[in-house]
Amino acid sequence: MGPMAADDVPREPGRPPGRLRVRAGGRPPARKIVIGAGLAAYSWIAASTVPFTRNALLVVLLPGAVVAVLAYGRPVRRIPPPDSIDVAGFSYWAVCVIALFEWEAAAFRDNSLWWHPSLTALIDPMLGARPVKAAGILVWLVTGWALVRR
Amino acid sequence: MVTRVITIVGFAAVILAAGGLEFLGRREGSRIPRLGEWLGYVMRPRAGRLLILLGWLWLGWHYFSR
Repeated sequence: MGPMAADDVPREPGRPPGRLRVRAGGRPPARKIVIGAGLAAYSWIAASTVPFTRNALLVVLLPGAVVAVLAYGRPVRRIPPPDSIDVAGFSYWAVCVIALFEWEAAAFRDNSLWWHPSLTALIDPMLGARPVKAAGILVWLVTGWALVRR
Repeated sequence: MVTRVITIVGFAAVILAAGGLEFLGRREGSRIPRLGEWLGYVMRPRAGRLLILLGWLWLGWHYFSR
C-alpha cells in the first residue's frame, strides 16, 4: 500500500476525507415505522414507572442489555469512524465537555442547593411530567442505537 | 437568586456552545469534527467503546430510574 492512507481519499467529490455520507441501509420504511412506534410505546410505558423501584431499574437495564448484545454479541453494521481527527478542532469539543463536567461538579460539591443547582436538579422537575419523561427516554434509546453503530 | 441564574446561564452557554460546534463541524471543509465523528473516533478502541456505552447506561439510570 502506498503512503496515502485510506482516509486521505475523498469518497465523494467535494467531500473532505473522513466525512462519509452514510445513507440508511435500504431498510423498508414500514419496518422503520414499526420500530419507531415500538420505541415510542416502550418510552411511554417506561415513563410511567415510579423512581427508585425495581420496574424503574428494569426499564433502563433492558435497553442496556439489548445494546450490550448489539455491541458485543451480535454486532450491527457500524458507521466507519475516521482514522484521525484534527486535534485543534477536537480541542474545542474537549473544552466544552470539560466545562460541562466542571460546572456540574461545582454544583454537586455545593450539594446542589437552590442557589447553585446541578443539571440533575434542574432536569428532574421537568421529568415529573410523563410526556417529557417519555420523550427523554425516547431520545436516550435513539442515542443508544446511534452509539452502538459507532 | 443571581447565583442560580448564573448557574443556569452557565449550563445553557455550554450546551449552546456544543450546538455551535456541531453546526460549525457540518460546514464544508471544517476542521472541527462533528459529535458523531469524534465519538466514533473515541469508540474505536474497545475500552473507549465500553466507557461511552457505560456512560450512556449511567445517564439512563441517573435520570429515569432514580
